[in-house]
Amino acid sequence: MNAHSPVFLLKLALCLYAAGIGSALLAVRRDKLANLLGFGSATVAALCGIWAAILALTASAADQVASFTLWPSFVPYIELKVRFDALGAFFVLIVSVLALALSVYAFGYVRGFYGRKSVGVLAAFYNALLLATTLVFTASNAFFFLIAWEIMALTAYCLVSFEHEQAEARNAGVLYFVMSHAGTGCLILGFLLLFQTSHNYDFASFRALGAALSPGTRNAAFILFLLGFGVKAGIVPLHVWLPVAHPVAPSNISALLSGVLIKTGIYGLTRVLFDFLSPVPNWWGVTVLTIGTISAVLGVLYALMEHDLKRLLAYHSIENIGIILMGLGAALMFLHTHHPVLATLALIAGLYHTINHAIFKALLFLGAGAVLHSAHTRNMEEMGGLIKRMPKTAFCFLVGAVAISALPPLNGFISEWLTYQSLLQGFRSTESLVRLMFPLSGAMLALTGALAAACFVKAFGITFLAQPRSEHAAKAHEASPTMVGGMGILVAACAFLGLFPTTFLQLFDPLTAQLTGQTLSAQLSLHGAVFPVLRNAQDLEAVSSTYVPSGSVSTLGLAFVGVGLVVSLLLVLKLVWSRKTKVTAGPTWDCGSKGLTPQMEYTATGFSKPIRMIFKALFRPHREVQREYDYSPYFARTLHFESHIEEAFVARLYRPLNRRILRWSLRIRGLQAGSIQAYLIYIFITLVLLLIFAL
Amino acid sequence: MPHPSSTELATSQWITLLAAGMLVVQMLMVVQRMLLTNIRLFAIQSLLLTGIAAIIASFYHAPEVFLVALLTLLGKVVFLPRLLSRLVRRIGIHQEIEPMLNSTASMFLCGALTLLGYIVARPFTSFARLGNNTLGIAITLLLIGLFLMFNRRKAITQVLALLTIENGVMLAAIALSSYGMPLVVELGVFFDVVVGVMVLGILVYRIRESFASMDVGKLTTLKG
Repeated sequence: MNAHSPVFLLKLALCLYAAGIGSALLAVRRDKLANLLGFGSATVAALCGIWAAILALTASAADQVASFTLWPSFVPYIELKVRFDALGAFFVLIVSVLALALSVYAFGYVRGFYGRKSVGVLAAFYNALLLATTLVFTASNAFFFLIAWEIMALTAYCLVSFEHEQAEARNAGVLYFVMSHAGTGCLILGFLLLFQTSHNYDFASFRALGAALSPGTRNAAFILFLLGFGVKAGIVPLHVWLPVAHPVAPSNISALLSGVLIKTGIYGLTRVLFDFLSPVPNWWGVTVLTIGTISAVLGVLYALMEHDLKRLLAYHSIENIGIILMGLGAALMFLHTHHPVLATLALIAGLYHTINHAIFKALLFLGAGAVLHSAHTRNMEEMGGLIKRMPKTAFCFLVGAVAISALPPLNGFISEWLTYQSLLQGFRSTESLVRLMFPLSGAMLALTGALAAACFVKAFGITFLAQPRSEHAAKAHEASPTMVGGMGILVAACAFLGLFPTTFLQLFDPLTAQLTGQTLSAQLSLHGAVFPVLRNAQDLEAVSSTYVPSGSVSTLGLAFVGVGLVVSLLLVLKLVWSRKTKVTAGPTWDCGSKGLTPQMEYTATGFSKPIRMIFKALFRPHREVQREYDYSPYFARTLHFESHIEEAFVARLYRPLNRRILRWSLRIRGLQAGSIQAYLIYIFITLVLLLIFAL
Repeated sequence: MPHPSSTELATSQWITLLAAGMLVVQMLMVVQRMLLTNIRLFAIQSLLLTGIAAIIASFYHAPEVFLVALLTLLGKVVFLPRLLSRLVRRIGIHQEIEPMLNSTASMFLCGALTLLGYIVARPFTSFARLGNNTLGIAITLLLIGLFLMFNRRKAITQVLALLTIENGVMLAAIALSSYGMPLVVELGVFFDVVVGVMVLGILVYRIRESFASMDVGKLTTLKG
């Protein structure tokens, strides 16, 4: 077989992941060797995966539909068939890029586990997770997809509870396990519904099945898939497992969970909604867009209230999934109103944000991991001053923070920019609901962006700036070279996707050609400009009478370029100017008190107080102050302050639900008498009834 | 449908006779309370099953069914009964206590179950096969075995009941397809049962040691 064919490279990557599992397990008693073998083969496999995906996305359309059978199967309907199409290839690209950076990072990171935990087991599960995820993105049979999906969920469970000595990790693992399986149940039902009509589990037979289904079946399938994939993606209100499970895993695994695993939900939704169930009714798009908007706003609001660095990042994953879903929802609505070009733009926005979020979120988790590794705490209130002690990590984290806050020139800006563009085009629609939805979502996206920026000012400022707030933080040290190297790869990816979006957009062409029948990369590349702007939509949409083109969008893009140029010019001038003047460094002004102490610093809680007050109705913060004084309330002897926030969904939705289920379970428990005879009678009665029923 | 030849008819009748014998033995086990006699009855039932398997093997010239017959003979007629008898002697309990249903009621219920078994098996009964009505007996054996399991309290009787259920399953396998199940499956089931009984035997002994009784009713105290 041709060494340059994407399928060959994909097979090679799969084999290398499998080899990684095997070799790590064989070397399980020797931590160093297991580290080298397990993560080494994952690194090479990731390179193969990247190469395969890029080849598949740049190849001509004829090579696209390369499919092969992984293993001959003897069971009817179950074929272990792999199909490497553009959509799958795009997601394989995401998982491979991340796998590369994370594996390099892991070489240094897992040294912290030597002698304490089994590195071999960690590396084996890590490889298994990557293998299963790659198969999820390329499986072409519903059964095979579900098998890969379950392997992925189970290995993720093992990785979440990897540090199982801690009750926190065990509980998080169980929560994840339960919710994930509830989701899988929905998926199985959904596929069975499709099977009713297609009489085959092959994805090829599901393609564009929407027209053949009755409206009721179609809507039921949509709801089931939305629930099933939504749990995995972490949409509100199915997100409760996410901020619990993601932080407790080892940091490189957290990066993988937040970067890739939740994207499998996005992959599934894209596959099902654009590939299988099209044409779509309008309310699907409205639902997806609404859920996306709610997830984005609530995700960032809860993130702002977090002081646990990794939990904060996990909440931001919910926010970003929301932004991605806004893109997808807008695309669905445009498809319904027959604006294929705008639908393509929105789809590109969503998927561009998918890869962007994968990269910068992984970068941030790796940064948080490096901090955790050397400061031994996830609580931001005990950090501070780390920029002096770990400057490289601080730089990488800053890049990630700028990217996630959607500031130019990094990648987050590009995809949110595309999302805005597609949302702002929505008012051209004739339907009043659509006209109302789009600007509202756009406004919410703007709010989300602003709050995200605030949140990362807090996260970076409290963690890295000022003075260390604890001894651990004061003793922190720079991360090892491979850890910095792993983060460096992602920094480079952030910069590339932010600076050369028009180059990258070409990779979307086969994908959008497959899903919406349009290619937009040429239209989006403004001559020589940095930002992709939809310019020639007028010609493309000439068919549609509702569309009125606007020139203002491109001028806005040019304005951005102009502002950027002016700012950089000013910076250069300042640099030249500062050479002439003399700079003296002195101590920070301390208002005349005797030296600054960490106690004077702004705390994370303090920083987020204004927002907590504005959104009081949502957060309902619990606050408790206990003061003890001897003679006058002005001279308190001790002061106890307690403040915490409980998520509204946990308190109002999940807890009552839990109570109800437990109450019912207790009633049913009466059946469980503990007597063998009773159990045997149950079996007997069931058997006899079934036999009679079969007559 | 081709008319069955006379040898076929004779063979079929032999099989039916032996299967009926199995059912009768099963009924005897329901009313019999002496443990050692029960074990002997089980051995007889297994011997009848061996006979059926041997007849089918020789009629169809199927060596693998012969192997199954041989294994049944060695395992269920010789080995397991001896193992269980030794266990009974070692524990020193020879009689089953009063069952939930008395013998009369048990016999009525077993009659009803036999009826059910035959009704369920009716759609599958075809005259083109040997021992065409053995499936009904097989299902009845299964049902009565289950009844035996919950009607008795001694762990060892329950082991025996499980074994009779397995006999029923094997009979069904032979009756449904003229060559029995694939050999691998048969062997798998067989070794499963042997290992299962050995484990249960040990467990019975332990239950006896821990609770000073073989009454599984005492296991309720384990419930949290």
